[in-house]
Amino acid sequence: MFRNILKKGRRLAGLGSLVAALTVAAPVMSQDKEPVVFGGSIPLSGVFAFAGIHIHAGLTDYTNWINSQGGINGHPVEYVMEDTAYEVDRSVAAFKKISGSSSPATYYGDSTGFMKAIASELNSQGNTLMSGASFATALTDNEQYPYQFIPGPNYSQMFGIILEYIATQGEGGDMPTVAFVYSDTEFGKDPIENGKARAGELGIEVVEEIVTKPGSVDVSAEVLKLRRVRPDFVVFHGYVLSPINEFMVQMRQMGLDTQFMGTFWSSDKLIIDKMGADADGYMGVMPYNYYDSEESGPMLDALRAQAEKSDPEAGYRPTGYMQGWFNAMVWTEVVKRTLARCGERTDRRQHGGISCLD
Amino acid sequence: MRIGDAKQSYEADEAIWTSQTQKLWLGLFLLILVVFPFAVDSYLLYLGCLVGIAVISTTGLNILTGFTGLISLGQAGFMGVGAYTVAWLSINTGLPFPVTLVLAGLMAAAVGILVGLPSLRVKGLYLAIATLAFMMYFIIVPLAVLMVLAARNVFRTRIGRAFIAIRDRDISAEILGINLLRYKLMSFALSSFYAGVAGGLFAYFYRVVTPESFPLSMSIFYLAAVIVGGMGNLLGGILGAAFMTLVPEALKLLTAALTPFYPNAPVFMSPMLEIIFGALIVGFLIFEPHGLAEIWHRIRRFFRLWPFRN
Repeated sequence: MFRNILKKGRRLAGLGSLVAALTVAAPVMSQDKEPVVFGGSIPLSGVFAFAGIHIHAGLTDYTNWINSQGGINGHPVEYVMEDTAYEVDRSVAAFKKISGSSSPATYYGDSTGFMKAIASELNSQGNTLMSGASFATALTDNEQYPYQFIPGPNYSQMFGIILEYIATQGEGGDMPTVAFVYSDTEFGKDPIENGKARAGELGIEVVEEIVTKPGSVDVSAEVLKLRRVRPDFVVFHGYVLSPINEFMVQMRQMGLDTQFMGTFWSSDKLIIDKMGADADGYMGVMPYNYYDSEESGPMLDALRAQAEKSDPEAGYRPTGYMQGWFNAMVWTEVVKRTLARCGERTDRRQHGGISCLD
Repeated sequence: MRIGDAKQSYEADEAIWTSQTQKLWLGLFLLILVVFPFAVDSYLLYLGCLVGIAVISTTGLNILTGFTGLISLGQAGFMGVGAYTVAWLSINTGLPFPVTLVLAGLMAAAVGILVGLPSLRVKGLYLAIATLAFMMYFIIVPLAVLMVLAARNVFRTRIGRAFIAIRDRDISAEILGINLLRYKLMSFALSSFYAGVAGGLFAYFYRVVTPESFPLSMSIFYLAAVIVGGMGNLLGGILGAAFMTLVPEALKLLTAALTPFYPNAPVFMSPMLEIIFGALIVGFLIFEPHGLAEIWHRIRRFFRLWPFRN
């Protein structure tokens, strides 16, 4: 599994260096060129604020960095965002406001629920490309969501990676057992059906399924359920931090030696840093490099330099930062290709950013 | 200037609109509602639709909480029932929009009587109908006006007066010959009907329904709208719904104003706005426990005697 993840990390660094090389070649940004707008519905408050502030920092830093490199083909980049508190109706309001005033070429969606709700609007507008916090399996359907992409493997694929690893961990011919713990959100529920099906194919028994609110604190009743079935593995999905920490601490206190695993948003190093020994052995699926990984490349170096410059005190930057930055890198590439294909257009504001790209 | 409105008959006292001035202002307000969608961008249009949906649901809850005195935290649940009814009907039966909406209301009313909540585990349904926000405005807002009017009419009847009697003192109401169980359930059903219609509109408006769309916090949102607006006052429900929907959006302008000076403003202002919003609600309740409607009435009283002093 880790080789797999590392490979993806290298690919990211590779794409990064490509983007870096292209932008270094054109460092002169003429002021009269129309700005390219990156819009965003960002959860700066609410249950996922924990990730939201880092996503925001990532997008902000990337925007400053790309502008310092001359923008995109000389077009300055503007990042326009609104807080959503991780609520779909506020997220839609933010989208309407931003798309009404700035005609964004690309847009960061903060939740699976929002990205589903806004799809018909995106499709009828046809000039904004969206990606964001969601890796939902549903969004990979090109028929229904032609203007959205996910920046990495989808949640079902992440479950697949985790389950394939678990399948190799059996001892004495016995398949390990697994429990799924996920949040009561569109985000949390997305891969569960596929995950169960995959577990069935691999012969892994799913002994318990637990659904909680994201960010919930009291999970003692759920922990008791887990103690009864004693799963070899617990997979967390649909959380950023709480209640993962609660589950792990309480289960360790009960003397369970369960191996904990998580999908992308549940795999931040902060979980391990905050929990210490109780988190020992935690494993997750990570399509990007960690901020402090040993990997290097022109883009990773640029990212670290920019992060250092914008906030020297911050130190380690969580996965949300890397994710925000990576989204913006892909957008940059899309805008470049659109410009290359459609040429410089003076009527970009009327027609939006990507309408010329099929 | 208008210094009094003496009434000479019971009909006049029961009339919905008691004075010419009131009719004039109302006419002006309705005119603004009609012109509004032509004059604004899609963001404000969207907020207008949200307010319309919120007004319907708040009015429903006001019937239950404000007029009958029963507190319910199930309003979002009933909206969910309405939304799922509409979604299911429009996918599986192809019934026209007005029919599904009424059925959504009736379904929610039935569930309201049973006081059940939709299962949290159900999967999302998608509406195949492509309606534009612009069209939706002309469905949502007239319906909101109509349903507020209907509620207003309810309180001119025996049923409405029975609700109020139950709220003020249920034992006295029973002695007056009001069947408590029957009228309480009726209030619940009526309230849920409103929630169901609001939920149905919500489903058509967003074209997607997920259980996540109707969390407990949404029920609290409507309860807060009723209390902030003014319990037992239909105008209060309207003001409360508008307040709760629009103020968080308006507060964001504060962030926008600060951002040029402090680039990091969104990060520290976003949690602050929640606190300011909460403080505003608490502040209103401390200084005017009868809600926004009472503030409105005071302003009106002031102008009624203007330029003389009260």
